[in-house]
Amino acid sequence: MTGWPRLRVLRGLLVPVSLLLLLVIVEAAMAQPFGLNRAAPEAGGFAGWILAKQAEFYRMLSGLIRAAKADGSAAYTLLGISFLYGIFHAAGPGHGKAVISSYLVANNETWRRGVALSFASALLQAFTAIAIVGVAAALLGATAKAMGNTVRVIEIVSYTLIVLIGLRLLWVKGRAFLHALGFGEGSHTQNHAHEHGHDRGHHQHHHHHDHDHDHEASAWSHGHAPEPSELAGDHWLKRGLAAIVAVGLRPCSGAIIVLVFALAQGLFWIGVASTFVMGLGTAITVAAIATVAVAARGLAGKLAKTKPGVGVIVLRGFETAAALVIVLFGAALLTGYLASERLIGV
Amino acid sequence: MNTLLRIFLVVLSGLATGSLAQAHPHVWVTMQTELVYAPDGSITGIRHAWSFDDMFSTFATQGLESKEKGKFTRDELAPLAKVNVESLKEYDYFTYATADGKKAELTDPAAGYWLDYKDQVLTLNFLLPFKAPVKAKELKVEIYDPSIFVDFAFAKDNPVQLAGAPKCKLDVVLPREMTFAEGKALSQIPVDEKNTTMAWGAQFASKILVHCP
Repeated sequence: MTGWPRLRVLRGLLVPVSLLLLLVIVEAAMAQPFGLNRAAPEAGGFAGWILAKQAEFYRMLSGLIRAAKADGSAAYTLLGISFLYGIFHAAGPGHGKAVISSYLVANNETWRRGVALSFASALLQAFTAIAIVGVAAALLGATAKAMGNTVRVIEIVSYTLIVLIGLRLLWVKGRAFLHALGFGEGSHTQNHAHEHGHDRGHHQHHHHHDHDHDHEASAWSHGHAPEPSELAGDHWLKRGLAAIVAVGLRPCSGAIIVLVFALAQGLFWIGVASTFVMGLGTAITVAAIATVAVAARGLAGKLAKTKPGVGVIVLRGFETAAALVIVLFGAALLTGYLASERLIGV
Repeated sequence: MNTLLRIFLVVLSGLATGSLAQAHPHVWVTMQTELVYAPDGSITGIRHAWSFDDMFSTFATQGLESKEKGKFTRDELAPLAKVNVESLKEYDYFTYATADGKKAELTDPAAGYWLDYKDQVLTLNFLLPFKAPVKAKELKVEIYDPSIFVDFAFAKDNPVQLAGAPKCKLDVVLPREMTFAEGKALSQIPVDEKNTTMAWGAQFASKILVHCP
């Protein structure tokens, strides 16, 4: 810690942390909590354009499903529109862009893993929608209300999982951050050494991408401590599984409505195909956003190396803030403060 | 520090772009609205007839039992109508009224609401009474969903009618939609740049204005 004026360090931290907080505030404000801010909604800019596009594609779906009943070739158009709809729709809330991106940033995952997580969660999401409609509606003849209740239970599980993932990351990253700031230097070293012993996967990992990361740490002169990313869990896929489930468990309301409509037209399988293609489109958007987040995290890591002191602190601060974003997101979703999609009046 | 700051900004705007796009409508409602006046010229209630789009109508009637397949009577739909009206309460029935600039309170729908099913479209009919009859020179009624999950649009024919207030002037303001040129211009603004030159917002509210002497 010596040699670096605290003021400068704090100023450097201010940037990422305040920006992330801004993101959360904007997200929460846009969600228009019920009972507050009852102003007429406004949507402009790029967001407004996305909104208009996805609504346009969604509205085309019912006509195309009907058309597919009369003429099989309309099914291809349906799949094309479903794909476009998925791409645009993922920009809306409920598809885990923010959670996945924050997760990747906090965990210092590679972009390949980011893409894999995005695709896995989007496919799981498609699968949940199909399972709910397939079992509840097609087999059991459940009502829309029953399906809505099922979705609500799934939501609670999924949002709780998001909070838990965030808390876990916050615990690991927050401590690394405090460590980087120079708090409790002595006792922490011991702490880390202790956890190190428990982390069985650690040695395998050492040879992969975490290598250049170690240099960052050693620049801070405690390269002996295990990297926080290693502490976050053993294998990346295993630790990513929780994130995949947390994000992908909750089905998309749009997909459920489309599936029920297709079922009513006697074209359930066309609905299933449409849902999977939608998921593919969703995955592409989420993966693209996640890749940008990972790339920025990588660049920040490189920059951190050139500025050993502040750089590492900013990096750890960024990771901690990303973990905090996940917690806040999950909590906001769980408490209903941040409205995701809903199935109304059923 | 500047480069770092820039990178963070780009990432965040990337994330925020997505976040800013709200839920888009999953339910479309075509409305016909009647403003009900008492003989003394005060408004007593708002009668809505909301027709849902075919996908949502199919979804909402999924699993409901009916005597004749693909058809539902008013009685068969009564339980669904009850659920509809009860869950709308949480959203203030998406109806917001002001009388001469002051909020005019509405209460829960009067008994006798019902659902119709015709041409695979569900229509919810209900009357929202005002807490107390209001006399106003300018009455404004807005119908919208703040979270844009439900899209409200007036029907082409007879969107709004005044029942019992012949001397008042009625205006129906349709929500403003973004033109193609505006959408295109917006899409060309880089994501890391703040949109200050085109600071407009599309108003998604359908508005009814009534001016009485």
